[in-house]
Amino acid sequence: MNGPIRQLATALFVGLAVLVAAVTWIQVVQANEFRDDPRNTRVITARVGRERGTIITADGVVAAMSAPNQDDPQVFTRQYPEGDLYAHVVGYSTALFGDTGIEASRAAELTSDRDSTISGVINALLGGDLRPQGLRLTVDHALQTTAYEALAGQIGAVVAIDPTTGAVLAMASNPTFDPNLLTGFNAGPQGAALENDPDRPLLNRAAQETYNPGSTFKTVTAAAALESGVAGPATPFPNEFRVELPGSTATISNAGGRRCGDGATVTLTTAFVLSCNTVFAVLGIEVGPEALVGQAEALGFNTEPATTDFRAVASAIPEAASFENADAALAQTAIGERDVRATPLQMAIIAATVANGGQLMEPYLVAEVFNADAEVEETSAPTPLGRAFSPATAEALSEMMEGVVTSGTGQRATVSGVRIGGKTGTAETPGDAPHAWFIGYGPVDAAPGEPQIAIAVLIESGGAVGATATGGTLAAPIARAVLAEFFSNGS
Amino acid sequence: MTRNAEASLLAAAAVLAGLGVALVNFASGVGFDAQAALTLLVFVLSFGSVHLVMRRWAPTANPYLFPLGAFLAAIGYIEVYRLDRDLAALQLWSLLIAGGMASLLLFTLRDEGVAALRRYRYIFLVVAVGLLMLPLLPEDWPIHGAEVFGSRLWVRADLPFGNRTLSFQPGEIAKLLLAIFLASYLADRHMAMATGRKLGPVHIPDPRHIFPVVIAAAASFLVLIYQRDLGASLLLFALFIGMMYIATARPFYLITGVVFVGVGGLIAYRLFDHVQRRVAAWLHPFDDFTDTGYQIAQSLFALGSGSLTGSGLGLGRPDLIPAAATDFVFAAVGEEMGLAGSIAVITAYALLIAAGFGIALRARDVFRKFLAAGLTLVIGMQAFLIIAGVTRLLPVTGITLPFMSYGGSSLLANMILLTLLARISHGERA
Repeated sequence: MNGPIRQLATALFVGLAVLVAAVTWIQVVQANEFRDDPRNTRVITARVGRERGTIITADGVVAAMSAPNQDDPQVFTRQYPEGDLYAHVVGYSTALFGDTGIEASRAAELTSDRDSTISGVINALLGGDLRPQGLRLTVDHALQTTAYEALAGQIGAVVAIDPTTGAVLAMASNPTFDPNLLTGFNAGPQGAALENDPDRPLLNRAAQETYNPGSTFKTVTAAAALESGVAGPATPFPNEFRVELPGSTATISNAGGRRCGDGATVTLTTAFVLSCNTVFAVLGIEVGPEALVGQAEALGFNTEPATTDFRAVASAIPEAASFENADAALAQTAIGERDVRATPLQMAIIAATVANGGQLMEPYLVAEVFNADAEVEETSAPTPLGRAFSPATAEALSEMMEGVVTSGTGQRATVSGVRIGGKTGTAETPGDAPHAWFIGYGPVDAAPGEPQIAIAVLIESGGAVGATATGGTLAAPIARAVLAEFFSNGS
Repeated sequence: MTRNAEASLLAAAAVLAGLGVALVNFASGVGFDAQAALTLLVFVLSFGSVHLVMRRWAPTANPYLFPLGAFLAAIGYIEVYRLDRDLAALQLWSLLIAGGMASLLLFTLRDEGVAALRRYRYIFLVVAVGLLMLPLLPEDWPIHGAEVFGSRLWVRADLPFGNRTLSFQPGEIAKLLLAIFLASYLADRHMAMATGRKLGPVHIPDPRHIFPVVIAAAASFLVLIYQRDLGASLLLFALFIGMMYIATARPFYLITGVVFVGVGGLIAYRLFDHVQRRVAAWLHPFDDFTDTGYQIAQSLFALGSGSLTGSGLGLGRPDLIPAAATDFVFAAVGEEMGLAGSIAVITAYALLIAAGFGIALRARDVFRKFLAAGLTLVIGMQAFLIIAGVTRLLPVTGITLPFMSYGGSSLLANMILLTLLARISHGERA
């Protein structure tokens, strides 16, 4: 009797051993084949289908949210209710095209810690909240909407910043795209179409593309002159309609080939208000490469912006040594041409720094992190990045910039009832219509605690106007629209 | 002392269940809540009561049976909880009831042991066949059968209060009763059955001695085949053949058994659509991925995705596998706990079977020997058949994985099975 029992036991043990072999074969040898089988939705839904936190604007409009699928509530679909309005700010989280923008930079908060990492387990043991957190942006929905409406039909960008904090109030880049088109598993064709679009809608021109800043760069040249004591607001300069550049056959003339006002001499302030190239070319040489490049770098050139919230490229100016015995290049650089290149974000930061008394602030997009119960867990603190110039210089620049809007090239940025300061720019582009720029801020006379805004507007290649476009005619009205929106609701 | 070892092993299993539930909660973002403590408590109450009764009335029983059962129940419960909180809540009640019933049975058998069951064998046979026929009761009766997934093996009783329905699978209890009947019958007749004529090297038994067994087997199978529960048929058949082989040591029974399974399988394949579908799904699961092959394909995807260490509790997608909480719970464990979990589970069954057959080998009287061997055979075959189905070694037979699958009837039957094995082992050897 024990014999048959032993035999049956042996048979069962052999059977179980075969099971161990079979399950090992499946889970080790065939594991990758089964895991990567296109019909096995596990891997892709694990990465893409997880719940992500909600992203709302400063005024509570939902820019991104996760909704559970109807047929499979464990799988979430990322939705962008505002369509293309926040495509460049929030970015996207997709199956096929990866993640960008806030979706990528703040993934740690937006996804939950429900993984098996040691820190996740410890966090849970200590009673941590494991649900995805949400983000409140600094961006204002009304301002963002106005920026896009003002850009409509033109290629360009608008960046608005709170000068006192560095909080980004609006960041628009046109053309844009609807990130909802990219989220699905069959979004390949749409994504390819966007990638191959010659207008490059996926590019965030506000922070990831550099342009010659043109005359808006005169703000930097003026700052360098004031800081180094080379010139003051009332310092007279010869009023020429053309200057010959030393060591070169090239010349620099004013827009339209005119002189700068009526007199034989012109003050720095007048030259700034009327945007005289001849004066700033001479001034650039007088200031010298060290001071000019130093001032630009103090404002953020040649460094990737410190922000961790979004990807921004560095604005560029050649190093000082390269201008040795190259006064012609220095003169062209001083008026924002040649090799100096800036992002709209950088130019907005320059305007903001003037408004903020010379104190540079780190730009940021996320105001608050809140938990799944909508309780604020973390509030972003403004980060000062150092002083770019003295308050006195800021004060002098401020007066000059206000003159641009009240009586100079930037009059179309006027907002009734608010003192606005600004600077226009019209950057020549070889063989194409010029890029139109406007940077500015307001109110110039802000009381402490009063809401302030600094702005940069760029329109590529003449926009809707074409070859005759200037910063004053094309970019300033766009800035005006956004500024007016900002001051209309008192926010 | 062995009972202390048992107590600490049972406590470890209860902690395992509680920790598993806590991890599942952790993964779903709830954090730690009362469920982990509740699970721990239910495991302690259920297995603790059995343990305490055993301390008092069966102190020398094998101390590894219930810890192994508790371990498997813990692993299974964690996955059931992870898949469906409502099922898990019911499963906790089942655990309490099964623990209580096991304690009660142990107490009832305190003086005579399983020998008390021996004299009721024909009652058990009649009750077993009656239980097997229960699912055939018409739908409009207060107690009636119900067809689930093409098999009619469920009984539903409409309770007089509320809208609740009590469902159970009588076949789970019937298999225990039939094992007791067989052990008892064979204990009386095995000498006679071993004699008979020789036909060449093969021994042919006297039909007189095997007639009742054949009748019992035929009746059970007819009922089960009519209910289309082929997994249970196969299991019962293995029980009959295995126990007759143990009782007589005659290969004739094994050979006849294999022939019958082959012929029976062919007939079933011809007669039943759902058998054909299952065989097709077994041979080519990916040919008809969206329909018949879906379950086995998802099972393989789950196991493959789990790989060596698994996705982690609550982090896999075992919910994609049809019947993941019942028949396919092994695949769910394999996905979330990896090959490590799979092998741990198979090893636990191997240890359980080793303990069971060890008890059979040491049993001093034939009834207890046969009963222990038969019960062990049932649990071993059941685990083997369904794991083999889930891993595509054999066609899926649709039976529960002992202790791990969701289901009160199955849990109750297997707890009673362990109780009988434990009682048999008591007093056999220090």
